[in-house]
Amino acid sequence: MEKNKQHRSPVLSALLSALPGMGQLYNGSTVRGVVLFVCIALLVPLVIWKGNYALFVAVLLVWLWNIYDAYSLAQGRRLPVLIPVLAIAFVVYFVGWGVTKINLQRLIEDVGDIRPLVTSLLKPAVLARDTETQVGRVSVQIPCSEEPPPKEDPPAEGPYLRLVTQSTCGDPLEDSFVVEGHGFWPSSFGSMWWVDEISMEWRVRQQGRYITFNTDEQGKIPPMNIIATEPMPEARGKGPRPYHIEARLEREVGAPHLSDTFFLVVEKMTETVFLALMATTFAIVIAAPISFLAARNMMGGNPATLAVYYGVRSVLNILRSIEPLIMAIIFVVWVGLGPFAGVLALAVHSIAALGKLYSEAVESIDPRPIEAVLATGANRWQMIAYAVIPQIVPPYLAFTIYRWDINVRMSTIIGFVGGGGIGFLLQQWIRLLMYREAGAAVWAIAIVVAIMDYVSARVREEVI
Amino acid sequence: MLRIDSLTKVYDDGTVALKDVTFDVQDGEFLVVLGLSGAGKSTLLRCINRLIEPTEGTITWNGIDVTAADGAQLRKIRRKIGMIFQAFNLVERSSVLTNVLSGRLGYSPTLTSILGRFPQQDLQLAMRNLERVGIGPLAQKRADELSGGQRQRVGIARALMQEPELMLADEPVASLDPVLAHSILRYLEQLNREDGITVICSLHYMDLVRRYATRVVGLKDGRVVFQGIADEITDERFKEIYGQEAERLSVA
Repeated sequence: MEKNKQHRSPVLSALLSALPGMGQLYNGSTVRGVVLFVCIALLVPLVIWKGNYALFVAVLLVWLWNIYDAYSLAQGRRLPVLIPVLAIAFVVYFVGWGVTKINLQRLIEDVGDIRPLVTSLLKPAVLARDTETQVGRVSVQIPCSEEPPPKEDPPAEGPYLRLVTQSTCGDPLEDSFVVEGHGFWPSSFGSMWWVDEISMEWRVRQQGRYITFNTDEQGKIPPMNIIATEPMPEARGKGPRPYHIEARLEREVGAPHLSDTFFLVVEKMTETVFLALMATTFAIVIAAPISFLAARNMMGGNPATLAVYYGVRSVLNILRSIEPLIMAIIFVVWVGLGPFAGVLALAVHSIAALGKLYSEAVESIDPRPIEAVLATGANRWQMIAYAVIPQIVPPYLAFTIYRWDINVRMSTIIGFVGGGGIGFLLQQWIRLLMYREAGAAVWAIAIVVAIMDYVSARVREEVI
Repeated sequence: MLRIDSLTKVYDDGTVALKDVTFDVQDGEFLVVLGLSGAGKSTLLRCINRLIEPTEGTITWNGIDVTAADGAQLRKIRRKIGMIFQAFNLVERSSVLTNVLSGRLGYSPTLTSILGRFPQQDLQLAMRNLERVGIGPLAQKRADELSGGQRQRVGIARALMQEPELMLADEPVASLDPVLAHSILRYLEQLNREDGITVICSLHYMDLVRRYATRVVGLKDGRVVFQGIADEITDERFKEIYGQEAERLSVA
């Protein structure tokens, strides 16, 4: 090797390294050459793809260094790699910054956008009051037919809405109705609605705004102009139809009580904890025996058991590399939406994770008691029962509690992909912008996870 | 009678631990194997009960070829050969009683013993053996609560559960205070004299060898370099076993 080096020509090395790394290969520095080649081969498309062309300066620097390095290697000197490492890192992080769309300005300026979320967290939909509604309506027809409906008399008692305008019908976007209301709750806020013959309803919207009103002290709704429209696009141009124009008021009555959301959250949170429990239990039952098959000191005896050892290890490694969320998606396809898919996903991942941890516990046991027990004439099963199991109980418990903690956390989000539990509600509420309900779910998750953490910490102290 | 014939052990990494070792052990002997660390003492003892597989050679015990035994037959041989260890090799988290009972596994049905159930006479035997080595009151303690000397006595009690005819003792006192060495070796001597158990014991200290051995085998680099009684170990012989730079060291 040393002798060979003296025959390498520095100039030839430098020329070869015009193709990055070749000069290094020529000088016997295989790893260096391959790394340089791969780095430059990756940097160029990276810069073209997402970078600023000014970054080619850095790439050029690496390339020049690579030539100089080849030249130096031929003279028997290995240059320190700080300069190319810095240049490569600069390009990588520059591109990385852009690819991940890091935007600190937005992070600071748009901080206000999370206010509804945060304030909802402070007001989770745990308590609710019953509501009472008041409705007054008039019948109209859109568009007009030959025989428009007769004008209605106001009801004998209770709130009512009446048409101030003469006609009970109107053509879309040409006519409008003027309505006013009497006998409503005084000084209250309300909104207007369209209701069709099959009780489908739409809020009245004009110029992009919902029509609302406030009643005066006598409970009167001031006259309002409602433009005749057919709220459902499919009904347009299909002849006259009857509609109601409704004025609705809503108010809360009675004392606050636990909301429906609260009970739903409690139910789903319970489901979540059970999900974690079932998954962890299945995982323990399956991983405990498997861990012996994945422990080298148990299986190293002969080629057959060693083959089992490698087989089990590989399966565990593959399973462990699949995230539980992805596994949940697979199981949702398999067994349908719901907690069972979540249990399976968490169980399979936990089997792999626990199997590995358990087997490492088996591998790290003290071999001397095994030797002693075998020396008494004990068979393999007796050896495991007397020399192995007493030693692995503490680590098994520790790993199990650790996995239980993880599973409680995972079970709260496995519902995001349909795996059951509270996550399913949470993601729905977030998407529907029902932040107060989402807030209740978030609080439930935080409280339950904290309690579970505390309990498992105490169990750990007691048992180990 | 135990007959070791041309025993050779080469480990997977190429280390030759034993080379062509041949000697006999008569029933009732207290044979001490003498030698430096790495001379092959532990390997030799472990080949006798096949905790380590010999590469070549045969071991015959009471006419049975130990090296050819397998499975159930090997376990049957092992249960008549007690063994105690330098590091005691107890299950630290188990009770003293459980450790001692594990010496009975070779006689116990698999299923019941795995469930931790032993017949009444085994429990009584365990208590008798614990009392014999003077630690009866410690039966319910966990092994890791005991001192070194107490642990080695648990080791002896465990081996006694096998009702052994041969006792292998691998550096039984090397992890102990020198003052405790005699107390442990006296138990072995007692077993040897009163119960007629053949003892093969590896030791370091010459004084102990002279005090307890009925016969000595000296090992150096995996070869037998000395066979005879302890008194025949002159300074010159001593240097053959321990190397030229060794000085005799005595223990109180």
